[in-house]
Amino acid sequence: MSNDIESRMRAALRPVAPREEFSQTLLARTLIETAARPKPRGFTAARLRPMAWWLTASLAASLVLAVGVHQHLEQQRLQQSGLEARREVLKALRVTSQKLNLAYEAVKSQSTSLDDEKSGV
Amino acid sequence: MNDAAADPLDDELAKARSGDRAALGVLVQAHQRSVYSLALRMLGTRDLAEDLTQEVFMQLNGNLRSIDSNKHLRFWLRQVASNRAIDQLRRRARLQWTSLEEETQLFSDEEDSDPLLQRHMRALLAELSPPARAVLLLRYQEDLDPQDIARTLDMPLNTVKSHLKRSLESMREKTAGPLPVRCEDNST
Repeated sequence: MSNDIESRMRAALRPVAPREEFSQTLLARTLIETAARPKPRGFTAARLRPMAWWLTASLAASLVLAVGVHQHLEQQRLQQSGLEARREVLKALRVTSQKLNLAYEAVKSQSTSLDDEKSGV
Repeated sequence: MNDAAADPLDDELAKARSGDRAALGVLVQAHQRSVYSLALRMLGTRDLAEDLTQEVFMQLNGNLRSIDSNKHLRFWLRQVASNRAIDQLRRRARLQWTSLEEETQLFSDEEDSDPLLQRHMRALLAELSPPARAVLLLRYQEDLDPQDIARTLDMPLNTVKSHLKRSLESMREKTAGPLPVRCEDNST
C-alpha cells in the first residue's frame, strides 16, 4: 500500500517542462550574463603573478639598499670615533710636554741660584 | 550505484567552466526542467517559479568554477533552488495556494497521471510547511534518498524521515477517502 502510494506520488510529481518561450529567454539571459562577466581567474593568473614578482624584487632591492646604507653609516661612525681618539692623544701629549717644560725650567732656575750663592762666598 | 560511469555532461561542464557558452547552454537545458519543477511546486505559481529558476541559473554563472562534476551541479542546483524557495515562502508568510487551482502545469500531464491523485497532491503540498514541502519534492520528484535530502537541505536525517513519514500518512488518509479508486482497490 505504502509502495503503491509512493509510486503514484512519483508519477504525479514527475518534472514538468517550463514554457518554451521561458526556456529560450533563460538560455539567452544565461549566455549574455556569461559573456558580460569578466574572467577572474585570467586576471589572477596573468596579472597577479608578475605583480608578485615585482613586489618580491622591490622588497629584495630595498633590503640590499638598507643593509648598504647601514654599513656605510657604521663605517663613518667608526672613522669619526678614531679621529676623536687621535685628537685626545695629541692633546694629552701636548699637555704633558708643557708640564715637563715647566718642571725643567723650575729645576734649571733653582740650580742657577745655588751656583750664584757659591760664587758669592 | 553507477556513479563511476562517465557522465557525458561532465565534459560539457568542463567546457562551460573554461568559457564555452554552447556547453553552458547544454547544461541549462539539461537541468532547467528539474529546477523549474521544484520552484513551481514549492511556490505554486508559474511566474514565481520562472523568476526563481532564472535567479538560480544566474547564480550558477558566478559559481561555475566551484562545481567539479555534473553530479555536483545537480546537487548544487537542487540545494540553491530549494533554499531560495523556502526563504521566499518564509518571507511571504503564507503563499496564495488558491491560485494553484488555476495552475494547470503543476503536475505531470503524461498519460498515466491520475487527476484525482493530483488533487490530493495539491492539497498535501498546500498543507505542508516550506521545509516539509521541499523534503517531499526532493524525495518523489527528484528521487533522492533521505541522506541526500538531509545534505541538500542541511537538515538532520531524522527530521527528513519524520517529514516523509507525516507526508505519507497524510497522503494515505487523503487517498483512503470515499473515492472510486479506493473502492476498486478494496474489491481486489
